[in-house]
Amino acid sequence: MEKLAPSERKKGRPKGGYAFQYCSKDSPVHRLGAGWKLALCGALGALAVAARVPWALGALLAVNLAYYFAARLGLRDLWRDIRIFLIQTAIIVILYVVKYGPAEGLWPGIRTGVQILLLFLPGVVFVRTTQGSQMMRSLKRILPEWLSFVLFTSFRFLPFFAREFREIAMAQRLRGAPIAPRQVWKPNHWKDLFNCLMIPLMVRALKTAKEAALSAEARGFGERH
Amino acid sequence: MPMKKQFTLQEAICLGFCASFIVITRAGLRLHLNIPGHAMFFTMFFLILARGCVPRMGAATLAGLVAGLLSMLLGMGKGGPLILLKFVVPGLIVDLGGILYPGFPGSYLACAIIGASASASRFVTIVVVEWVIGMDWSVILQHAAISSSVGVLFGAAGSLMAPPVVRRLKVSGLITRGP
Repeated sequence: MEKLAPSERKKGRPKGGYAFQYCSKDSPVHRLGAGWKLALCGALGALAVAARVPWALGALLAVNLAYYFAARLGLRDLWRDIRIFLIQTAIIVILYVVKYGPAEGLWPGIRTGVQILLLFLPGVVFVRTTQGSQMMRSLKRILPEWLSFVLFTSFRFLPFFAREFREIAMAQRLRGAPIAPRQVWKPNHWKDLFNCLMIPLMVRALKTAKEAALSAEARGFGERH
Repeated sequence: MPMKKQFTLQEAICLGFCASFIVITRAGLRLHLNIPGHAMFFTMFFLILARGCVPRMGAATLAGLVAGLLSMLLGMGKGGPLILLKFVVPGLIVDLGGILYPGFPGSYLACAIIGASASASRFVTIVVVEWVIGMDWSVILQHAAISSSVGVLFGAAGSLMAPPVVRRLKVSGLITRGP
């Protein structure tokens, strides 16, 4: 994992990246095809739904953790990925305990929380170990051609629109629009946010869509889809 | 390229761009906020805007599907492929709203209702997942209500921002066909 500059840490970016983000490592799970990983997601998810007794849940948890650590992901990564599920589990346990009391409510609450974690954990491993390009190659085989075209055009234009977003925001702020990060969280500035930022952005998007469509049609893509 | 006769290429690309905006704003919010459900604000805004810009059946669903696939490609959100549901189901509800009231992207009240309903789809997703797992019904309903209530508020607020934008785009002639 690349080391971050101190300035980036100051901005609030956690050291070592975010939860559910692709982690560049060399592991057997990383080398596995995206299709196989999706199949594993389905199989482990189905087993998580079916498992009800403690030994089955324990065994499945061990399998999931082995799968996770086989991807050479660390304990810190695991903590980042599962903490949201721990909050969910705490809420579920509280609801069960309130309804059935501590004696009868504790186990069903924990069991359900663990099942939800086991349902999502293979998906977490999938996004942690599968690069965008690898997913694209797999998606190309599954998706219709026109949808692939729309998806990859949108993907291609993501950095362009992110840059446009920043540039329009900067220009509008220089003209006095109250759309600085500290200002936009106040609801009375939302109207300005949409008038000054979203409308120019949508105008740009509509014009770019027209140009991209013309360009694609000139290269022989179908008229309607 | 063999295609279904639903959207023109320009419309489909425009919907893809709305999906890109959903992803960009979600990524932006991810860096700054830790309030659960806040991402629904821009998600609902752009889904309704997608339906407003391309007033055809399936427009919001296609925008949602592309947003889900983009999020999956970028590794955003938990659950991997299950993230698709987060975008496709609200998109379906927006399109359903479009069938019931084709001119809704220009109406504040209709947008608020449809935006809140679409945001509440998280409620349905939670209910389905937990029902499959075998949880108690009353606990499922309470947990789903707790988890989705803030998202509904943010979704409704985001939806309310769409009508003036749609109206201005129509007035400027950028959206030519409309209900």
